[in-house]
Amino acid sequence: MVRRIDTYLEQLLPDEKLAFYESVRDFADAEIAPHLLQWERDHRLVPDECIQAMGQLGLFGLPIPEEFGGQGGDHTDLVLMGLAIGYHSQSVAITPGAAISLGAKPILLCGSEEQKKEHLPALARGERMFVFGLSEPGRGSDAANPEVTAVKQGDKWVINGEKCWSTNAAWASHVVVHALTDKDAPNGKRSTCFIVPMDEKGVFYQEMQGKKVWEQSSTGSIMFENVEVPHDAILGNENEGFKVMVTTLNGGRLFIAALALASLAFGLDKCRIYAEEREQFDNKPIGRFQRVQDVIVDMDIALERGITWLMHCCNLYEQNKLAREQAAKVKVDCSRTASELIALGMEICGGVACFDEFGLIRHHNDLFVTRVGEGSNFVLKDLIVRPLRGR
Amino acid sequence: MEIVVCIKRVPASDTTIKIAADGKSIDPAGVKYELNPYDEFAIEQALLIKEQLGAGSVTVVTIGSKDAQKELRDALARGADKAALLTTDQWISDGASTAAALATWIKSQSCDLVLCGRQAIDSDNNQLAPNLATHLGFACITEVNKLELADGKFTAERDIEGAREVVTCPTPAVLSCQKGLNEPRYPNLKGIMAAKKKPLEEAAAELPAAGLEVVSLALPPERAAGKILGDGADSVPALIDALRNEAKVL
Repeated sequence: MVRRIDTYLEQLLPDEKLAFYESVRDFADAEIAPHLLQWERDHRLVPDECIQAMGQLGLFGLPIPEEFGGQGGDHTDLVLMGLAIGYHSQSVAITPGAAISLGAKPILLCGSEEQKKEHLPALARGERMFVFGLSEPGRGSDAANPEVTAVKQGDKWVINGEKCWSTNAAWASHVVVHALTDKDAPNGKRSTCFIVPMDEKGVFYQEMQGKKVWEQSSTGSIMFENVEVPHDAILGNENEGFKVMVTTLNGGRLFIAALALASLAFGLDKCRIYAEEREQFDNKPIGRFQRVQDVIVDMDIALERGITWLMHCCNLYEQNKLAREQAAKVKVDCSRTASELIALGMEICGGVACFDEFGLIRHHNDLFVTRVGEGSNFVLKDLIVRPLRGR
Repeated sequence: MEIVVCIKRVPASDTTIKIAADGKSIDPAGVKYELNPYDEFAIEQALLIKEQLGAGSVTVVTIGSKDAQKELRDALARGADKAALLTTDQWISDGASTAAALATWIKSQSCDLVLCGRQAIDSDNNQLAPNLATHLGFACITEVNKLELADGKFTAERDIEGAREVVTCPTPAVLSCQKGLNEPRYPNLKGIMAAKKKPLEEAAAELPAAGLEVVSLALPPERAAGKILGDGADSVPALIDALRNEAKVL
C-alpha cells in the first residue's frame, strides 16, 4: 500500500529530504509499529531500547550542527521525522520532537558557547535530555508571568515552585526552568530561564498519572524546593526568559502541525482501505456509497492542503521569514481539521474503530493534544487576529 | 580490504504487480521499487568488515536504468564510499548475463571481496554469487548467516538441510548473504547529506547475448474462497473429511 502522504511528499521534497523521510518511515515501520499495541496495553512509556535506537539513527541531534556532534539538519528534517513516526504514534514522535524543539533548540538558539559545548554533543546522541519547565498548575496560556520564582542571593539564585506538563520529564537530565525574577518589570521582561540538573538538591520529579492521550510519552510534574544554581545557569539573558520561551515555541508549532497531519494520514489510509474491503448491501464495498466517499475525499483534501501548507511554512522558517501568526495558523488548522475528520473517519468504520488494534482511537485521542499543546488553538487565535486589526 | 557489493533495484515486496502487454515482462506503471532486501545484509556486512579492519573501501555496483541511482545513493548514505551504475534499459532475466557484466566491471577494479544478497526477490535466480566466483576465479560461499574474519581468513556459517555447516575460505572471495547475518543500519541524515558528495560513476553495462529468454509470464491463480463447514464439535468429522479427501493433507 502506497501511503497518500508519501505521494504528496514525493512531489514536494527534494531528493535528500525525501530519502531522510523514507529512512525514518522504514525505521518506524520496522522498529516501532509492531510493538505499539503491546506498549499501550502494558501502559509503558517509550522503552529505553527504542530511545536508544532513535539516538543511534541520529534523531535527537537532527538540527544540531555537526561541530557539536549533531546531524547538521534543519527544522524541515525535524518536521519530516514527526510525519514519519507520528504516522504510527504521536507519543513516540514527540519524544525526540520535544527533546529537540523544547530541549536542544533553546540551547542552540539562546545558549552561550560554553553551554553549547557542554550540552549539545550529549543531547545530539540522545544520552542527555532537556525538558522545558514552562507550564505550571496555575499558569498555562499566561506563561509570561510564572509563579515559580528565582531569587538572587549573593552569586547564586534560589528557585522555588512547581512546573507541570513537562514532556520527557522521565528521561530528563536537565530542566530549563522559566522563573519569575522581576515582578515589577513590564510584562514580558519579568522572567529568566535557568538550566537546572534534575539531580540537583531540592528537585523532585513525579510522572503525572491518568493521562489518556500521548500515552507512551512522559509528562512530569517537577518541584523545586530552595534549589540553588549559579549565575551562569541562566539561559539567554537575565529577565529575558519570555524571549527564550517565545523563540522556542515558534518552531515547535510546526512540529505539532506535523503530528496532526501524520495522524490524519494514518486515518485516511486506514479508512480508505477499510472502505474498499468492507462490503454491505449486495456485497458492495462501503467506499462506493457517497456519504462514505465524502469523508474519505475530505480527509484526502485536508491532507494534501495541510502538507503543502506545512512545507511552505518550513521553507519560510528556514529563511527566517515565518511570522508567529503563520506558525500558529498552520497549527490551528491542521489540528482542528485532522481531529474533526478522524472522528468522521471512525464513524464510517463503525464498531471496529472502538478497538485499540485498529489504531484510529489512538490517533483520535492524541489529536486532542495537538489542539491544546504548544499554545491552545483558542489562545493562538488572539495572535492570528493581530495583523487583521490594522487597516 | 577492497570490497565490492552488488545490489539490485527490485519491485517492493508489497507492490501490486501487473503483467505488461507483451506478456513477458511486468508493467512498470505504478510499481514501487526498493533495494533488494537481501542486499541490505551484504551492504551492512561490508561496512562491518571495513569498520573492523579500520581500512579499505566499500564500492556498491548495480546494473539497471538511471532510476537505480536512488538505491546506490541509499547504500552511500549507509556508509559505502563510492558507487557505480552499469546502465542498460533491458530487463535482464538471465542471471548468467548479469554475472558476466558485473565480473567484467569488477575485473577493472581492485577487489578482495565481493558481497551480494542470497538472491534478488524479483527474479529469484539465486545465481549471482557462484557465477561471479567462476568468472573471477574467487572462492565462493553462498547463503552465509554468520561470518567472522581473522588473519585474512573468513569463517562462515550456513544452514543446510538439517544442519549448520561451518566453512572457511581465504580472500579473494564471493559471499552471498542470508537474512540473520546482521542487523542492517538505517541511513541517517548526516549519511544522506554526505552521500550527495560521494562519487557515483556511470558506464554502459557490457552485457553478453542472453543465454535464455522469458517466453511468458503469468500471475499466480487467485486463491479460492474459504469454506465454512459448520460450528462446534459437530463439524469436526466434516473438517477431517475435507482435509483428507479434498486438501489431501492427512
